[in-house]
Amino acid sequence: MGKPDFRVQNLHVSVEGKEILKGLNLHIRGGEIHAIMGPNGTGKSTLASSLMGHPHYEVTAGDVVLDGEDVLAMSTDERARAGLFLAMQYPAEVPGVSNANFIRQALNARRGEGNELPVIQFHRKLQEKMKALNIDASFAERYLNEGFSGGEKKRNEILQMSMLEPRIAILDEIDSGLDIDALKIVANGVNQLRSDNIGFLIITHYQRLLNYIVPDHVHVMMQGRIVRSGDAKLAEELEAKGYDWLKKELGIEDETVEVEA
Amino acid sequence: MSEVNTAVSHVHRVAQALGEPSSLLALREAAWRTFQELPQPYVEKTDLRKLTWETGTFSEQVGKVPAEVQAYIDRLQHSYALFVDGLPVDLRLTEEAKAAGVTYCTIHEAPEKAEALWKAHFGTVVTANENKWTALNQALFAGGVFLYAPKGTHIDAPFETVYVWTGGESGAYSRSLVVAAELADIQYAETVFAATTGAKVVNSHVLEIVALADSRVQVSTADAFHRGPTHFVTRRARVGKDAHVLWTVADTSDGLCVELVENELAGAGAKGLARVVGLGHGRAHVDLTASMRHVGRHTESEIVMHGALRDKANTIFRSRTEIVKGAVGAGSEQHDRMIMIDGTARADAIPMLLIDENDVQRCGHAASVGKIDPTQVYYLMSRGIPKSIAVQMIIWGYLHDTVEALASDPMRELVVARIERELSR
Ligand SMILES: Nc1ncnc2c1ncn2[C@@H]1O[C@H](COP(=O)(O)OP(=O)(O)OP(=O)(O)O)[C@@H](O)[C@H]1O
Ligand SMILES: [Mg+2]
Repeated sequence: MGKPDFRVQNLHVSVEGKEILKGLNLHIRGGEIHAIMGPNGTGKSTLASSLMGHPHYEVTAGDVVLDGEDVLAMSTDERARAGLFLAMQYPAEVPGVSNANFIRQALNARRGEGNELPVIQFHRKLQEKMKALNIDASFAERYLNEGFSGGEKKRNEILQMSMLEPRIAILDEIDSGLDIDALKIVANGVNQLRSDNIGFLIITHYQRLLNYIVPDHVHVMMQGRIVRSGDAKLAEELEAKGYDWLKKELGIEDETVEVEA
Repeated sequence: MSEVNTAVSHVHRVAQALGEPSSLLALREAAWRTFQELPQPYVEKTDLRKLTWETGTFSEQVGKVPAEVQAYIDRLQHSYALFVDGLPVDLRLTEEAKAAGVTYCTIHEAPEKAEALWKAHFGTVVTANENKWTALNQALFAGGVFLYAPKGTHIDAPFETVYVWTGGESGAYSRSLVVAAELADIQYAETVFAATTGAKVVNSHVLEIVALADSRVQVSTADAFHRGPTHFVTRRARVGKDAHVLWTVADTSDGLCVELVENELAGAGAKGLARVVGLGHGRAHVDLTASMRHVGRHTESEIVMHGALRDKANTIFRSRTEIVKGAVGAGSEQHDRMIMIDGTARADAIPMLLIDENDVQRCGHAASVGKIDPTQVYYLMSRGIPKSIAVQMIIWGYLHDTVEALASDPMRELVVARIERELSR
């Protein structure tokens, strides 16, 4: 398979009848890192969830295409098997299902029937990745996210990503709740995977993460769409000056999705 | 012939077939009279108006052991006893258990082999005058073991009773008695293989456990009763001073069942745990009560019930804690949770607290009925796992801890297969 190619065109999304995304465009190719920044409540997580096919979010217009395939026609699990991955802002806890069992089921689903990874190889690979992310070996047998600290959950999301080797990885606030060391470890996990075979969409509030994972493109979201795009410098500018100057430039008073409707 | 005479002749046939001493026959006859005198039972939420007290005809013919059961038995490494339609077929005692001096025989041999123990305990934990079905059991019981573990016995493997009901005309009335002497630490298990039968009879099963001071008894049960008869199950342990009885109950019945598992925390410092998993399917009506009766001082108990339902199943889980006057300093915890998988199943999770003592250490309870959490399903699907598998994984996760606590690998695997068969349909 060639380089991933992921296009979002004129995406409109509603939740419970309220329009949140209002015409969003994005084009990510393998090898690229895109960062999305923006104030609270501007639709970043909504974008991530609707790309993954969360049932709460209704796409009312637009297209999402991965490698020529219509993503919007796929169920959530089909999207994942097609190569989409979302590291969630708030991953669910599933008692009684061990982390290792979960990841193995997921990996085998992604690899497809007849191409499952033998158990021993799977565990070797899992242990390697866990070590690299400084996750204690005991987490393999712990129940999925149950009782994990905030930072442990985030690292577990990155562990899943590095096991599943997706074509497009969306990371929603993977840096929130991480201490400095964990931040470096997580960033390192992302950088390890970086290649032409994967494109990233990184949602973050802080420039700090982008010091470790240097993006090719930075986008700012307000009112449910991308209002400004630039390179890594744009993130530095936002860190230094905040969002007010941009809002003024764009003539936006309330940047959340609330005002228009 | 009048009803009394038919029944008495039935009692006689059972007693004769099993070669019991006459003292036992008198006990059976008395229980039969009690059965007749006791009023019709009333169980809230379980309609017993159409209940028949038909007992069928007792057969002395030993039925064939089904291949599935033989395969199961062949895997057992521990002590076991096999009964087919109430008649003994096989009883095996491990060398370890022999060396420890345990008494292990059929319940029918016990009055001769262990007279004093028998007299001291039989019918004292589950009494004949408790209700109509315990009386009926004491009148007609056929099949079951007597197990006595002497003082200080420690055996890290279960004694398992395997009951096979091949679906004949007769009602099923198993009865076992387990006595753990002071400081003994043992495991006991009951596994039921029942064929579907059209016989409209009433079945009543009883298990009595006596845990003497400082003993520890782990009990595992795997029931699968089907439609046709009405099944009553009464399992109770009397827990002595500082003794501990832990139940792991796995029920995959799809019949009409009224079941009780109970600890009577009689001695000071007695402790009890009941873990229950139930999978309701088909047109099951299962009314299952897990109960802790605090009688001694500073007794502690925990009840964890997890049910999953599909099809037209109707399952009632009651978690019951009773703290009688004088049982000061009791601590109890209840968790009762049921998940509706699909269909038009009906679940009731009913916490019951009957507290007559003011000095209670702690008494927590939580009961809920709900659907599978959609955020969990979404999360698993977002990693490529198809919805049907995601749902199964979540339900398994939820039943997992209790299934793991069952007594042996074969028993765990049996219960897993029974649950899997219904979940993967
Ligand atoms: N399931 C939902 N039901 C109702 N409203 C929702 C739902 N999901 C999102 N919203 C609303 O949509 C708007 C955008 O939310 P979203 O979570 O996408 O913002 P965000 O940019 O990720 O914010 P943050 O930076 O705080 O994470 C908010 O007003 C939010 O309340
Ligand atoms: Mg968000």
